[in-house]
Amino acid sequence: MTGFLTVLGQVLAVAGAGVLLLAAIGLLRFADFYMRASAVATATGVGISLIIIGSVLVAPGVADAVKAAVAVVLQLVTSAAGGIMLARCALLSGHRFSPDTDSAALRSVTGPRGPAQGDDG
Amino acid sequence: MSTALIGIDIAFALCAVVALLSVVRIVRGPDRGSRLVGAELLTVTVIGLIALGGVRSGNTSTFDLVLVVTMAAFLAAVSLARALVGGAR
Repeated sequence: MTGFLTVLGQVLAVAGAGVLLLAAIGLLRFADFYMRASAVATATGVGISLIIIGSVLVAPGVADAVKAAVAVVLQLVTSAAGGIMLARCALLSGHRFSPDTDSAALRSVTGPRGPAQGDDG
Repeated sequence: MSTALIGIDIAFALCAVVALLSVVRIVRGPDRGSRLVGAELLTVTVIGLIALGGVRSGNTSTFDLVLVVTMAAFLAAVSLARALVGGAR
């Protein structure tokens, strides 16, 4: 039983690290800030949750399981909220969209010509 | 520990690669928001490295650190996002 938990925990940890690796590849390859933010904000919650759950399964214990459960819930809630806040602040501070992004639905926020004073520095 | 922990080692190595790639994005930019996203991924990766390192060394008191750093990472993300717009809402 302990051996099964050890194997399952290691599989989960490797899967979580793989999700984080996909997020890093998206961070490097995507064209503008908003695509990068979507890649990171959606992947970090799942990736770090899998890593923490896998770590607890490899080294089980009641106190550690409680701490890990609280950490996983916090991470799932805050990664979504933080990602939304980051993208909103970037939009308000004038980060440009990639030219092939259809940002027409955001005209009421950004004005008729898109984000105004592009921040490329 | 006597049992084989090769999976933990692999996950540790993958997390190290992710940290390196996010540092590459922080260095290359090109805008401040992309650097912020790189920093966010870097903090999350460090949380994973702390958890995996604790399991690998057989000392699971590092789960306290995981909990604290998770909260600190969220506060850092919020305050950096506020700094992006100069403190305005």
